Amino acid sequence: MIGQIPKPLQGVARMKEIGALAGVLIVMAAFTIMSDRFLTPGNMVSVFTVTSELGIIAVGVCFLMISGEFDLSVGSVFAISPMLGATIAAAGAPLWVGLLAGLAVAAAIGFVNGQLVLRTGVPSFIITLGGMMFYRGVILAVSGGFPVSYLQPSEFMHYLGGRTAMGLRWSGIWFIVLVIVFQIILARTRYGNHVSAVGGNAGTAKAVGIDVARVKMTNFMLCSMTAALAGFMRFGRFRSVDPTAGRLMELEAIAACVIGGALLTGGYGSIVGAFLGAFLMGVMRSGLILAGPPPYWYQGFIGLVLVISVILNTRIRKAVAGS
Amino acid sequence: MSTETRQNEIVRQQEPRGNIPREARESLAFVDNVTMKFNKVVALRNVSFKVGYNEVVGLLGDNGAGKSTLIKVLNGFHQPTAGQIYLDGRPVNFKSPRDSRDAGIETAYQDLALVDLMTITRNFFLGRELQRRVGPFKFLDMPRMNEIAAKSMAEVGLRNIREMYETVSFLSGGERQAIAIGRATFFGAKLLILDEPTAAISVAETEWVLRLVAEAKQNGLSVIMITHNAYEVFDVADRFVVLQQGENYADLKREETNAKELIEIIAGRK
Repeated sequence: MIGQIPKPLQGVARMKEIGALAGVLIVMAAFTIMSDRFLTPGNMVSVFTVTSELGIIAVGVCFLMISGEFDLSVGSVFAISPMLGATIAAAGAPLWVGLLAGLAVAAAIGFVNGQLVLRTGVPSFIITLGGMMFYRGVILAVSGGFPVSYLQPSEFMHYLGGRTAMGLRWSGIWFIVLVIVFQIILARTRYGNHVSAVGGNAGTAKAVGIDVARVKMTNFMLCSMTAALAGFMRFGRFRSVDPTAGRLMELEAIAACVIGGALLTGGYGSIVGAFLGAFLMGVMRSGLILAGPPPYWYQGFIGLVLVISVILNTRIRKAVAGS
Repeated sequence: MSTETRQNEIVRQQEPRGNIPREARESLAFVDNVTMKFNKVVALRNVSFKVGYNEVVGLLGDNGAGKSTLIKVLNGFHQPTAGQIYLDGRPVNFKSPRDSRDAGIETAYQDLALVDLMTITRNFFLGRELQRRVGPFKFLDMPRMNEIAAKSMAEVGLRNIREMYETVSFLSGGERQAIAIGRATFFGAKLLILDEPTAAISVAETEWVLRLVAEAKQNGLSVIMITHNAYEVFDVADRFVVLQQGENYADLKREETNAKELIEIIAGRK
C-alpha cells in the first residue's frame, strides 16, 4: 500500500519513470567513475544519436503496449520502409515521395497486423512474430542481401539524420519532439485516456462505449509508422540501408519500454519512461566500450538491467497502483 | 457528435412503424418479446421485461437464467435476435453500450465497472471526459474533473479517499459500486443497472450500497439490480422479476411475496 511509503516520497514513487530514472543516474555515475572519457559532451551526443533511432521505435511500441498489444515486426519495418524509399529515390523520384511511400507501406503493415489480431483473436505477439520473419524474408529476397544507397547531396536527407548544432543530429531532435507529443497525447488527451483503458481492461472500455478495435488499429498503425520513421533517420545518417538493419531492435524496444515502467499486459506505461529506457541502453553500450571490458558484455548487462528493473518496477507499481 | 444529436439520431432511425405497446408507453424501459441467440444457443426466449419510472426492480434467477444477457440486450452490448426495446415509450435500437449510455442507461457490471490501474477521476469520466480547448487542440480538463469526482465521491459517502489520483485497485467492492452509482447520478442517468452489486462485499458495505440505491430512487432514478440473493435486495426493490432458463418465470410486487418464497421460485420449486 502507498501508506507504507513515507509521505514526501509518495509523489515521487507515483512517477512511472522513477525506476528508469534511477537506473540511468546509477549507471551513468558508475561509468563516469570508470572512464574519464564517458561524461564528455562529445560522447553524450553520440550516445544520444544511437538512442534516438531505437527510442523512436520504442515510442510507438510503448504506445501500442499500453493499449495491450505487441509489435515484433518493427525491426523489419525499420528496414523495409527506408529500403523502399531509397529505391524509389535512387530511381529518380524526389526523396519525399520515397519517404511517403515508406510510411504508407508501414501503415499498411500496421493495418494488416491489427486486422489479423482483431479478426482471428490470435495474440499479437504471435501475429507480429510471423510478420517480423515474413517481412525480413521479403527484404532479403528482393534486395538479394545488398544495401541500397543514396549518395546525392540532399537537404531532405540532412533533416532526417544530418548534424545540427553541437554535433547533435536531427534524429535526436525528432526523437525529443515525438516523446513530448506522444506523452502529452497519452497523459493529457481523451484518446490517451482511452488507450490506457483499452489496455487496462478492454471489457470495461467497451462497456463505457469506447471503440476498442479502433483504438488498437490506430496504435498498430502508429507503431509501425514510428518504426519506419526511425528507419529513415538511420538512412539519413548512413545514406544507405542495409537489409539486415533493425534486427533485434524489436526486442530492445520492448526492453526499453519495460525498463521505463510499462506493463507487458497493457494499461500502464510512460513514453518518457521508454525514452529513459532507450537512453539507459545507449549509455550502457557506450560505457562498456569506454570502461574497458570487451563490448560483448553489452548484451549480458542489458539482460541483467532488464530483469533488475522489472523486479523493481513491479514492486513500486504494486505499492502505488495495486495489481 | 453531441449527446443530444446522437440521441435524436437514435430515435429518428427508429420512427415507429407499428403501434407502440401500452407497457412501453407506461414504462421507462420496456423489453418486448426479445429472443437472443448465440449461434445455436438460445440465451433468451421471448422474454418481456419492464422497468417503471422511479422503480427499483430486482432481476432474479439462478446462474445461467439469462439475467446478464437480458441487461446486455437492454443496454446495447448485444443486439437482440428478435424483439424490440423501448425507452421512454419510444423504440430504440442501441448499436453499442455507448448509445444506451448517451440515452441515460448506466450499467455497472460486476467485473467490468472500472479499470483497476486508472485513477478514480479517470474512471469516473471514462468515455465522457471533460476537455478544454487550447488553440486547435483539446486536452483533458483534469482540475475540473478531479473537483467534480471528489465532490461526487463525498456525496455517496466515499470519504476515506485520500487523493483522487489514487488508482481504484485499492478500493473495496462497496467503494467500487459507490463510484458507479455516483457516476450515474452525476451524469443524469434515468436508469441504473447494477450487476450483482452485493456479490463478494461485506455486510456493512452491502447496507451502504443498498442505501445508495434507495437514495438514487429518491433522486428520481429507476434501478435494476441483478442478483441471486433475494434476501439482500428484498427491502429496497419494488418488484421482482424471475427468469429461468432464458424465459420469463415470475413477476411479483413486493407486497405480493416474501424473500423465502422468492428463493423457492428462483430454485424452481414453486
